[in-house]
Amino acid sequence: MKTANVLGGALLAASLTMTSVAALAEPIKVSAAVYGLRAEFMQLWSNALKDHPAVKNGTVNITIFDGRYDAMVQDSQFDTTITQQFDAMLLVPIDSNACAAGVARAVAAGIPVVGSNARCNTDQLAAFVGSDDVKGGEMVANAVLSKIGYKGNVVILEGPIGQSGQIDRAQGITNVLAKHPDVKVLEMRTANWSRSEALSLMENWLAAHRGKIDGIIGQNDEMALGAIEAVKQAGLDVNDFAIAGIDGVTDALQAVKANEMESVLQDARAQAQGALDVAIRQVKGESYRPQSTIWKQYADKMAWDDGMKKEYNVPWTPVTQSNVDELLSGRK
Amino acid sequence: MTQESAGVPSTNPAAATPSPRGVKVAEFAKRYGIILAFLLLCIALSLASPYFLSVNNLLNVLRQTSINGILAIGMTFVILTRGIDLSVGAVMACAAMVAASFAAGSEASPVYVPIMMGLLVGLGLGMVNGLFVARFAIPPFVMTLGMLSMARGLTYIYNDGMPISNLSPAFSFIGQGVLFGIPMPVILFLSIFLVCWGVLKLTTYGRYVYAVGGNPKAAKTSGIRTRLVLFSVYAISGLMAGLVGLMVAARTSAALPQAGVAYELDAIAAVVIGGTSLAGGVGTIVGTVFGALIIGVMNNGLDLLGVSSFYQQLIKGAIIVLAVMLDRSRLGRD
Repeated sequence: MKTANVLGGALLAASLTMTSVAALAEPIKVSAAVYGLRAEFMQLWSNALKDHPAVKNGTVNITIFDGRYDAMVQDSQFDTTITQQFDAMLLVPIDSNACAAGVARAVAAGIPVVGSNARCNTDQLAAFVGSDDVKGGEMVANAVLSKIGYKGNVVILEGPIGQSGQIDRAQGITNVLAKHPDVKVLEMRTANWSRSEALSLMENWLAAHRGKIDGIIGQNDEMALGAIEAVKQAGLDVNDFAIAGIDGVTDALQAVKANEMESVLQDARAQAQGALDVAIRQVKGESYRPQSTIWKQYADKMAWDDGMKKEYNVPWTPVTQSNVDELLSGRK
Repeated sequence: MTQESAGVPSTNPAAATPSPRGVKVAEFAKRYGIILAFLLLCIALSLASPYFLSVNNLLNVLRQTSINGILAIGMTFVILTRGIDLSVGAVMACAAMVAASFAAGSEASPVYVPIMMGLLVGLGLGMVNGLFVARFAIPPFVMTLGMLSMARGLTYIYNDGMPISNLSPAFSFIGQGVLFGIPMPVILFLSIFLVCWGVLKLTTYGRYVYAVGGNPKAAKTSGIRTRLVLFSVYAISGLMAGLVGLMVAARTSAALPQAGVAYELDAIAAVVIGGTSLAGGVGTIVGTVFGALIIGVMNNGLDLLGVSSFYQQLIKGAIIVLAVMLDRSRLGRD
């Protein structure tokens, strides 16, 4: 019975392969394996992907796989992508090393994999479309340090230790701190990208270093927002602190507008739509022209170059009073 | 029920002398209900997705299920004794980290060293659970909840929170290799299933496990060393978690300190869907394996159909409750 099923399945699969070869007008199937959909940033990324012109006009079919923050779950999604004979795959890995084996299997099955947002330690990616986290770390550190006059005490809220985002942003922050010996780091601990963890960590730090903290560097916005909450709940004035984060999530944009913090926008839209254009180029070949508006937007900083570059660096944009309203209106 | 059968003629003829056919159907449903449910799910999914029944996909499902399946088999031993092991996910991560540290980089030890180390860590932490539950009568929920946190802490301490990658090809074979066309994790899953099924079904020890869970007092008076049995089931569960740790690290060629979070919940779900009673003494390894397969097939099928993972969680939860409800109504009939 089981053998019969398997045989039947194999026949079915084979006949399907033939029909899909016969009908060229079928939409291109692209899977997107992302690390997890619980955080706002990945939601923005996914929504931007579905908003890509090629998805909207039906030339491309997108299936988003939620990795649920578990490298094993993501690993199995490579296999699902292979069995379902997707034409290309976008990858936002959970772990920069654990993803390599899956990428190798997909590439061996003839499916090009385009990395986005977070890095995967492999040379088999067709391309990587993301932002340089070292640069982001430098920008967030500079935002805080310039506000305190490059003198005083800061605390640093880190992402999950060992994740590529944490490692690279910490590197950027360290680069800047090394140049300014008058700035002292009082505390540097992980709050796992989480607002609530940062809140309680900051409460403890405010108690331990009463009146001594001048600046708060968040490796992401969520944690900076948690720190703001802790400052407010301790009855202190947010304006006595220089606070900054990275990503440009909606709440952080609101906080920038309210003059409570600074933020550096990581362009989820450019990362997602850029990666998809590169993936479609892999499938359709030379004749393909990118359809997302982001290539026009970043024309001077990120050139399309026939879609065959190994790395596309999406620029960071500091969020300021002059652009915050425009960014907020894009979130509706 | 007992009063009715003890003389007074029943008003309900079906209850007193059920038709042979009724008995057969009820008996069949009781024995094979879970397998039927599994087959129905497979049929539904193969109609819904053309990819479901392909050989590759079925092997994928089996390989993906092997992780939860082996944890759930260990968990079955524990739950049969009225216990619970909440620490398996964390113990698994700890074993994976320790094993990986002996399998990484250019100075990797021969492959049996990381394997032994991983299994020993799992077994050792499981024995600590067993010792405190059996010898010091700490409630299993509390002890293993404590171990969940301790093992996770140890995992982070062991390599300062950093992942370990670049594991040797020989070690990675445990997770990535294929023997006779069958993925290694599936071979391990099948072997563990056969061994544990045999142990519970055919050995004196197996009968002791059921006896300790069914009626601890009676088990004790009949001369069973109940504490030793209790101790052993946590050791078994720990050993299984150690093995799964090896498989997970080998699969991705990397050990991550945050691996295995909430894996205990899926393992418990598989055991419960498989018809093992949380009240102890009732349940089978076969049921657990099909419980794990149902979860695995469902995750795979919903992925194939492109159903959002938010709905997947909703559906999984509903299936757990439904499975226990069916179980209850079955017990009621008995």
